[in-house]
Amino acid sequence: MMKTFSIGGIHPNDSKISKDCKIEVLPVPSKVFISVAQHLGAPATPIVKAGDQVKVGQVIAEPAGFISAYVHSSVSGTVKSVGPRKDLAGNNMTHIEIDVEGDEWVEGVDLTDTLVTAIPEDNKAILEKIKLCGVVGLGGATFPAHVKLCPPPGKKADCLILNGAECEPYLTSDYRIMLERSKEIVVGAAIMKQVLGGCPAVIGIEENKPEAIKAMTAAVAELQKSAKGYDGISVMTLKKKYPQGGEKQLIDAVMDRQVKSMGLPIDVGAVVQNVATSLAVYEAVQKNIPLITNVMTITGDCLPMEKQHNYKFRIGMPLSYIAEYAGGIPEAAAKVISGGPMMGKAIANMDATTVKGSSSLLYLTAEQTVRGEESPCIRCGRCAEACPMGLEPFLLQKYARNNMMDELEDNAVQDCIECGCCLYSCPANIPLLDIIRIAKGDVIRIIRTRK
Amino acid sequence: MDKLIVSPSPHLHTKTSTKSLMRDVVIALMPAVIVSVLFYGWSELLVLSTSVASCLLVELFITKFLLKKPCTITDCSALVTGILLALNLPSTTPWWIVFIGSVVAIGVAKMTFGGLGQNIFNPALVGRVFLLISFPAQMTNWTRPEGFVGGNLDAMTGATPLGAVKEHLGTEGASLTGMTEYADMNYFDMLFYNIGGSAGEISALAILLGFAYLLFRGVIKPYITLSIILTVAVFSGIFWIADPSQYTDPLFNLLTGGLLLGAVFMATDYVTSPMSKTGGIIFGVGIGVITMLIRYFGAYPEGVSFAILIMNSVVPLLNKWFHTKKYGRA
Repeated sequence: MMKTFSIGGIHPNDSKISKDCKIEVLPVPSKVFISVAQHLGAPATPIVKAGDQVKVGQVIAEPAGFISAYVHSSVSGTVKSVGPRKDLAGNNMTHIEIDVEGDEWVEGVDLTDTLVTAIPEDNKAILEKIKLCGVVGLGGATFPAHVKLCPPPGKKADCLILNGAECEPYLTSDYRIMLERSKEIVVGAAIMKQVLGGCPAVIGIEENKPEAIKAMTAAVAELQKSAKGYDGISVMTLKKKYPQGGEKQLIDAVMDRQVKSMGLPIDVGAVVQNVATSLAVYEAVQKNIPLITNVMTITGDCLPMEKQHNYKFRIGMPLSYIAEYAGGIPEAAAKVISGGPMMGKAIANMDATTVKGSSSLLYLTAEQTVRGEESPCIRCGRCAEACPMGLEPFLLQKYARNNMMDELEDNAVQDCIECGCCLYSCPANIPLLDIIRIAKGDVIRIIRTRK
Repeated sequence: MDKLIVSPSPHLHTKTSTKSLMRDVVIALMPAVIVSVLFYGWSELLVLSTSVASCLLVELFITKFLLKKPCTITDCSALVTGILLALNLPSTTPWWIVFIGSVVAIGVAKMTFGGLGQNIFNPALVGRVFLLISFPAQMTNWTRPEGFVGGNLDAMTGATPLGAVKEHLGTEGASLTGMTEYADMNYFDMLFYNIGGSAGEISALAILLGFAYLLFRGVIKPYITLSIILTVAVFSGIFWIADPSQYTDPLFNLLTGGLLLGAVFMATDYVTSPMSKTGGIIFGVGIGVITMLIRYFGAYPEGVSFAILIMNSVVPLLNKWFHTKKYGRA
């Protein structure tokens, strides 16, 4: 029987319209704006100033704490300014503006297509490289990868899970790299697995991507035959159900273990990394390429087939530039989303630029996305049935509207993963997650203060 | 594209709405409605239209003139209540009694609690039970099904199977073994139509068709209905095996009266049933047990309505005690 997570979940139409669009490389624009907040944690500290010459791959900002990451220049040229600029939500954040001149890379970078399968032996050096190359999790949270790969003392990884579920509708970037860069992903997995002490690695892919399952299985088999260090890597087909790619859900699906409330995956011996992160680890460790590129999907039902794309972009590219290059924002689009339609962010500012974790420009029409008018709760229980954390959103929203903090905590509002299943399934259009998200923030603050 | 909409995630929404769910319930009720009209004829049509129209009007009147709030009848929930109330009444019920039932169902049981989603008791059942207590004669004036398709136009009043059994057993020393009507009872007729009772009680098959539709469309989950049916079967099975001369058999209990109508359409009402699965199963078992206690030992021949209303009152407790299984908190 195909595996999946045990509680809740929904089945929205997967709408993988752009799945057959090969990855194309976006040309470099004349100017980029690179944000210093490209990861979860403290924004990095800029180490360049206006007038400095930079090369592609050169460090331009350093981590400002344990949970932070290096940021590299994605272009070569002159730093024009370092200062505040609006990100995609419209908030000010320090950006480094660079005028592009040529495309000169830093030394030591291997830009050839040759697959390097021999894994370095020194785990410390590997971790240092992953850190220096600014690799962060590319599944959505952009958590610094090297931190996740160093389990705290006393904890041991039993399984490395590679997340190839791509359960968000519309997105196809992970799918494309699983088809086009399968072997590199497997090498990345083997590297991480070695760093974690040789635990098995499972690549979880949803059943709606049979070609990706085939490609990854073939890549694993071939590498196991031709090189050393690839034993214990396998591909697991998962049932199609959102949010399969949620970290906690994937651990439940693959390992039949559940992370305790407020706990970490490593507590149950799990480390989860996205397939795109695995590719970034490969490029960092085997090719010395820092994380300055990623793949994003340009899609939407209102886009004609020829305007659907999967682009390899560099960080710092203005979204408006990419939209223009792809053929413009369609007339029918009412909302542009960065990320998937379930957890992605609505873009308020198309002048914002790409970051490491950018995954899409998704155009939704008003008809698709405008919520209906809220009506009374009919107590159908669909939200509770949909919640993959087993929470009762109908109850939580009631407590939240009445500021009942103790009841909210007792009913585990802090466990909410903000996947959106409750709001998606509510027939009365009650803004469940909007309300619960705020209450969750409050409750977590209370819990932290108590400690 | 002049302005972009910005709002928090998720950005997609299911097509299922309160209205579409209610519409599905109405569609699921259609087989039972059609059968009742076919077999009871014009009188049933009158009861149905009076009930539906007055339920809608009462809600319209209350929201518009008393509460001065936006009108809510477009959500179709009053329509469902109207149809259900009609299916719970004999086809001979005078129109004004039907109207009173609607006023009680919508006005008292639903709107005084705050309208859709707030009521504790199933509105249609409150209406029906109110009428049963207030107008016992009219409410038990059963006509044998002789409508558009029946041959015999001289409709005669007869008892429901449950009523006949209760009356028969009421006499000292009576036994079911000697009761020819009970012995002649044909389960095939019960399944399709040919039994006396409220409009919605005459055809088990029509109700089961509706049940299948509701399940297929994902409107309800089967556990409440199944736990009621199973409880009734087990409970009556035990008594029947112990003494078949005093207690009716399980199949008889499942196919007669309002059991299926109640188990499929009334007990599964979202608003008045528990939110959790465990709660739902306990709720169903409770309904089954109380129904059978009333049928075997109570004064009324039928107890489904009372059983559901009694269990409705326990729902807040069940919701408090039983919650969903949470991730990582086993």
